[in-house]
Amino acid sequence: MKASKERIPYVNIQQQWLDERNELLPIMEKIFTSAQFVGGEEIDKFEKNIAKLCGTKYACALNSGTDALMIALSMSGVRKGDEVITPPNSFIASTAAIVHIGAIPVFVDVLPDQNIDPSKIEAAITEKTKAIMPVHLTGRMCDMDPIMHIAKKYNLVVIEDAAQSVGSKYKDKPSGSIGDVGCFSTHPLKNLNACGDGGFLTTNNESIFKKTKLYSNHGTADRNVVDHFGCVSRMDNLQAAILNFRLEKLENVAEKRRNNAMSYHNGIKNKNLFFPKESKDEYNTYHTFVVQTPYRDQLKEYLSLNGIDTAIHYPVPIHLQPASKKLGYQIGDFPITEKQSKEILTLPVNQYISKEDIERIIKVINKFHF
Amino acid sequence: MKVRYSYLPQQFEDCEDLWQDLKDFVATGDFTLGEPLTRFEESFAKLIGTKYAIGVNSGTDAIKLSLKAMNIGPGDEVITAANTYVATVGAICELGAKPVFVDCNDTFCMDTALVEEKITKKTKALLPVHYTGYMTDMRVLNRISEKYNIPIVEDACQSILGAIEGKNAGTWGKAGAFSLHPLKNINVWSDGGVIVTDDEELYKTLRLLRNHGFENRDTVVMMGCNSRLDTIQAVVGNWILPQAKSISDERIKNASYLDNGLQQVDEITIPHRPKDFRLVFHLYIVFAKDRDGLLKHCIQKGIEAKIHYPIPIYKQSALVHLGYKNGDFPVTDGHVEKIITFPCDQHLEKAQLDFIISTVTEYYES
Repeated sequence: MKASKERIPYVNIQQQWLDERNELLPIMEKIFTSAQFVGGEEIDKFEKNIAKLCGTKYACALNSGTDALMIALSMSGVRKGDEVITPPNSFIASTAAIVHIGAIPVFVDVLPDQNIDPSKIEAAITEKTKAIMPVHLTGRMCDMDPIMHIAKKYNLVVIEDAAQSVGSKYKDKPSGSIGDVGCFSTHPLKNLNACGDGGFLTTNNESIFKKTKLYSNHGTADRNVVDHFGCVSRMDNLQAAILNFRLEKLENVAEKRRNNAMSYHNGIKNKNLFFPKESKDEYNTYHTFVVQTPYRDQLKEYLSLNGIDTAIHYPVPIHLQPASKKLGYQIGDFPITEKQSKEILTLPVNQYISKEDIERIIKVINKFHF
Repeated sequence: MKVRYSYLPQQFEDCEDLWQDLKDFVATGDFTLGEPLTRFEESFAKLIGTKYAIGVNSGTDAIKLSLKAMNIGPGDEVITAANTYVATVGAICELGAKPVFVDCNDTFCMDTALVEEKITKKTKALLPVHYTGYMTDMRVLNRISEKYNIPIVEDACQSILGAIEGKNAGTWGKAGAFSLHPLKNINVWSDGGVIVTDDEELYKTLRLLRNHGFENRDTVVMMGCNSRLDTIQAVVGNWILPQAKSISDERIKNASYLDNGLQQVDEITIPHRPKDFRLVFHLYIVFAKDRDGLLKHCIQKGIEAKIHYPIPIYKQSALVHLGYKNGDFPVTDGHVEKIITFPCDQHLEKAQLDFIISTVTEYYES
């Protein structure tokens, strides 16, 4: 089969709809007809199934991954003025969640694989440190053993930012099942995606689960009694129905993404490019496939000229965002993050790319010279 | 005869065109922000009569983000009504601010005569709640706001297209917060909310706050949160918005029909209906003698009557630390014993309204 000459898009949600249309339309119609939009059976079912997949006792469906982080921190007892250790190279929401509850993000630089460097965590711990929030960026899980060891030693809470790593594993343990709480996003661009914002948290801690349930629904124990105030962070029943349908396909989605990634791992041979190998400890679901090269901008342009769309996650590290001014960081504070922000490029790895297109991308990349 | 409270199944019976819109939309894959949301926001602002509207995740978030955008936080006081839904107070508390309550009057809204005595140096906002579809007397409250230079955020979650002297709820304060929850007069099919304002600075801040503080895809100028109205729900909103006027007209007509019938019953008192106010009856509430007996009777007869709410917010255990006690808000307390809510929505048939009236009449006759 000849490789397609058409552009290879970075994401392909439209194709997902075409594939699933005939099955999803009746599901959506059923929800609309039932008129059960807030709370409902689909939510209960989703929470049960996703907890099972994530290997935890409980899951609570929420309005977004950002809310999951915010609520997880809050329900784990992180308060105003507490410090939370986290990497500076994540999506902004990880840090914003900490700031939003009045806590202070304390950044720790990352490893060549873009995940937090456990060996640098202890130096960042102060009397105010209350939690560590590792981010399983790109679908790759952080090296959790040393992180959990440090957390235990200093009595810190661990909140896993698993927004990009649903189904990923570390030493056979699913992401979201190792720390005190796991926080996930079901944003339309995620591996397990809804048709709108959505998220959830996972935990084995019954008290955190119960508090989250209340907090995310106005704090109302029943219609009339309020013991603690909460907010509104509910997953829509409609989105839960879509997710329940897609949950059955998730393993398949991960396998396709892994196959694409393996093709890159085996096929890309270009001395100008670096990408971390998958270690035997991990099962990566490849939310993104990121390569690093000093010639990033040239590579991006070159691929674009060859009909291949790419993205950058993320070009400006969080500590250098205008919004972080008050935190008092400066250029040079996190050299690896800063270097990576100039070198990282995300290749298409989604489940809709054909084998031929993956091969075309590899061929084009292997011809890249600088 | 059944008189149900929720009318959402009826809403779906006649919406083939919306179903088509949704199918077309889902195929675009453009699920966050985007054109349908922009269109919804423009139409909403136009409907209410403000320059700007911002779609957010819920009415609660609409209140919370409005306050947050005005830098209200720990240590600040926000004056609000003692008889509101939990969300109003939850929004204040989540920001670390302190709710300061004012009793209501028989229109279920804050008694504006009691506001000034509650103002302290720490008061940073007035948060009137246009409860049940009534409106707080904004003519008075705006004078207070100007006198003390304290901004107003209107909790208009229950009062879309309510008005005083033709000026709509949401247009009196610096910001107006609306809910699109499925049970609201104008609803989407999930949680949802809208903030309206004429203030360009506030509008810009709110746009940032609801979307992670992104000025563009890569630049974050403030730490925000994720509180977007789902675009798929904006499609539902775009479908229902043109019906907004007729929906509220229909509710007003139904309420007036119920008023006429129920005022014949001695044991029922119809709350004052001020002439220059447009009341949109999100909740149709009357005062009843022997309320608990009447409620039981109505439910037995198949009428889904309700109590909004049996425990006033200021008495909830979540607010024990504020030290309010029985008797602090006598009007609110008085309402708790006698309020009863009847269905009043646009999908009711005349026979159902008649059945409500006859069931109530019959209860007191027997």
